[in-house]
Order: sequence, then C-alpha cells, then structure tokens
Amino acid sequence: MFGFEAIIAHDGLGISVIGISIVFVSLILLSFAVSRIHKLIGLWDKRSKYYNRSKKPQQKDQKTPSVLVPTLPQDVQRVSRQFKLLIEWMGEPFPLPKLLDLSGKCGLSHPHSTINEFIKCELIIPAENGYYILNKQVEEKILLLEEKRSSA
Amino acid sequence: MENLLIEFLSNTGFALADYRNIIMILVGIIILYLGVAKEYEPLLLVPIGFGILIGNIPVIKDFGLGIYESGSFLNYVYYGVTHDIYPPLIFLGIGALTDFSTMLARPVLMLLGAAAQIGIFTTFLGALAIGFPPNEAASIGIIGGADGPTAIFLTAMLAPRLIGPIAVAAYSYMALVPVIQPPIMRLLTTRKERLIKMEEPREVSKKEKIIFPIVGFLLCCFLAPAALPLLGMLFFGNLLKECVVVERLARTARTSLIDIVTILLGVTVGASTQADVFLTRQSIGIFALGAFSFAIATASGVIFAKIMNLFLRKKINPLVGAAGVSAVPNSARVVQMVGQAEDPTNFLLMHAMAPNISGVIGSAIAAAILWSFMSL
Repeated sequence: MFGFEAIIAHDGLGISVIGISIVFVSLILLSFAVSRIHKLIGLWDKRSKYYNRSKKPQQKDQKTPSVLVPTLPQDVQRVSRQFKLLIEWMGEPFPLPKLLDLSGKCGLSHPHSTINEFIKCELIIPAENGYYILNKQVEEKILLLEEKRSSA
Repeated sequence: MENLLIEFLSNTGFALADYRNIIMILVGIIILYLGVAKEYEPLLLVPIGFGILIGNIPVIKDFGLGIYESGSFLNYVYYGVTHDIYPPLIFLGIGALTDFSTMLARPVLMLLGAAAQIGIFTTFLGALAIGFPPNEAASIGIIGGADGPTAIFLTAMLAPRLIGPIAVAAYSYMALVPVIQPPIMRLLTTRKERLIKMEEPREVSKKEKIIFPIVGFLLCCFLAPAALPLLGMLFFGNLLKECVVVERLARTARTSLIDIVTILLGVTVGASTQADVFLTRQSIGIFALGAFSFAIATASGVIFAKIMNLFLRKKINPLVGAAGVSAVPNSARVVQMVGQAEDPTNFLLMHAMAPNISGVIGSAIAAAILWSFMSL
C-alpha cells in the first residue's frame, strides 16, 4: 500500500495529530510549571516575614493597653494629638531635632520630656538612618483610652 | 605450502571485497573528512566514520569477527545499542552538561521545542506514504528530532534492522546542521525579523535549578511514561549538576561516562553499516526522508516563532525557532551565527538554548508516544 491509502490504513493521521498534541500539552504544562517555580520559591523564602506580620499585631494588642499606655501620664496623652499634627505636617520619617524645634516654636510645654515619654511608650519608634516614625497601633490605643476616660 | 598461501590470499579483504564495501569505505572516509577537516560534530563523526571502516572490512562469515556474529567483540559492544543501554547513559551526560537557566528564565520559548517536533510526525506520514510499515515509519520520523540517542532508542525498540541507516542519518544530519538550517531560516524570515533583539533573560536562582529537574521529570514521565529511560536519566544528570553536593558524580557523568559511551556508541553504530545491510534502496529512502524531516522541523520552529510574535508583547527573533530541533548545542550555535551575520551586536545564543533544550525533552516525549502507539 502506498500514498494516502497507506496513511489511512495505518491510522497515520490519528497518530500524528494525537502525538503532536501530546508533545505540545506536555511542554505547555512544563512551561507553566516552570513559570510558577520562582514565584513559589519567593513565597517560601518570605514565609517568616508573613508569619511575623500575622503574629506582631496580636503581641502588641496584648502589650499596648496593659503595659505601655497606662504609663503615659494623662497630660502627655492629651498633648499627643498636637504632636501628631506636627508630625503629619512634617511628614514621615522625621528627624527628632526638627520635631523638638517645631514643638518649641508652637509653644507646647516640656517638649523634651514629652518626646522622651513618647519614645518610652513606643508611640514614636526609630526608622532607618536615624529618623523616626509614628507608631499607628500605639496611637490608636491612646485614642481609645482617651475616649473611654472622657466618656467616664 | 602453495595451497596454504592461496587459501590465505583468498581470505584476505582484497579477495573478499566487492564494490559495496568500497562504496561504504568511501562513505566512512567522507564522514571522517567532515569530522576532522570540517570539524562538523567531530566527537560523533570521527567514531562513526572509523566504525564504518571497521564494519566494512570484508571478513569470512562465521569467523566471529563481524558485528552481527554472536560472540564477536563488536557484537558484545553492539549489545548496548540494540538493548537501549547507551542512549539513556548519553542522556545522563547531557543532563549533567546542560544549564537549563535560559529555559527557566523564559519558559514560553519551550513551545518552540514542541513546534519543531512537527517534523517527526510529518515524516512519519511521508514514510507511511512511500510504503514503510508503521514501526519503521515511526523510527524514520524520529530522525527529524535531530537527536541521535533518541533515534537509536526508538529504532532499537521498533525496527532493530534499521539501526545502522537511521543512526548514521540522524548523526550525519545533526553534524550537517550548519549546512542544512541557514538557507531554510533565511528563506522563512525577513531581514527585519532577523534583526529583532531579545531582552536579557532574568537571573535564575539555584533553588529553581534544583527543583526543575524533579518537577520536570515527574510531569513529563507521568504524561508519557515510555520516556522514562531517556528523560529519567536526563533530569537525573541535571539534578547531579545543580545540587552541587555530588560534584564527583556530576563530573563523571559529564566527562568520562559520556565520553566512553560516545566512543562505544559511535564505533558500533558505524560498524553496523555493513555494506550488505546498509546499501539498500530502503537506506536511500531513509536518508531522503531524514533530510525532509530535518527541513520540516526547522521550518516548523521558525514559523511557530512568527505566529507567537503575533500574540507576544516581547517579540521573539524567529531564528530562535530553528533551535527547536534538539541538536544541542549545534542548532543554537547556527542561530547565533545567522543572527550575527545580520547584526554583529545581536547575541541570540543564550535565547536559542531554551528551545534547543526543550527540543531534547520534546523529541524524547515524541519517541515515547510513537513507541506507545506502535506497541498497542
């Protein structure tokens, strides 16, 4: 048998079409798997970061109200709003000397000791290169406590 | 004493030789010339060329000398070919030699390796059409994969009597990649396309390189289990290379082991081309179909790259498609050569390695599929 007749008789077309399809499917699946490998590795490498991120808020939730916030004197708690406005105006991260200078110019009382209290209770925390940022979580706790006090 | 001398003279090669032995010895010398003087794949062509000389010295039948006579030295060594021992070992060495980074960096280029396998199935149809039985047609088609070990692997399973012509055709065309591919590549691409510069591949991490052979092996062999001996060894070799902790094993696989197997495979494949077995009409048909298969494979890769460019944002230089035939790294070098002829600042070699390596995987899968279909 020769020609198209031989191809049909031996199911050549079927074998060829299925064959090339399987080759394509295999390499498409392999290329898909390969394109995911580095992303999965990336996730795996950052697992500790994700784990810490999910853990940190819980730890601070327990810590902030019971330990840090009550140690903040009431007058300092009240003045914290004004410092927050100054920090928002300066933008984060900010240098401590500038905050001191501005708070003095704005006539806030005892800026040195107030800022020291903020650092102690971690309302202001160090960022990179000697700059500082406002700790939003502690700030929220202070606001909550203040609201509770005023409603009482 | 006179009788002894006459008997001795009648048993010499000069007395036993016929014109077919002379033709085959000339073929062997041409192959040696291509390997030594032209440096076309010398690691393959020199052992094969000399093997052809060995196999075509006329010897007395049943003297235990010929490759097809059981008990002869050549017959023992040929066992590794007929029983599919050498091809997987060659794949082990290839795996330990190959860096898969470029393929991992841009996996979409793997599709070009799949496209080039169209040549295998087209030639399979062509071989059926000119009267070859299906198992032989499948073995002839695999020449288009441009992968000598895979061609031998499949032929030993499906059509052992054709090992000689198919192996010589496959290796010859692999060696002649720099001659066969460039005209097809130029014919199917415009100058503008040949000038396309591809962006640098991203850096691939060590972890990726270690995970790939495991994922690749599991995926490919679950899909096409018949590819297990070839792909198992290929990915295992690559794992040895990438995991670093077994450097001694990796070094052996990519140096001594692959060299020893190449010598044994090359010489015995060459010696299997005994004139009475090799010089047949079928062999001429096999060589013609092999060339056709190779040309179709090259063209399929280039055309598929052009089709992909219609959908891709980051364009592919279509020349890279020609590297989908799995002559590693010869066809990737040809892509680089043709690309640089147009623009000396265009470096396509690393991009071409991706389809080149995926072509090896693709042709092994194609061989496994053909083997499975023919065994049903």
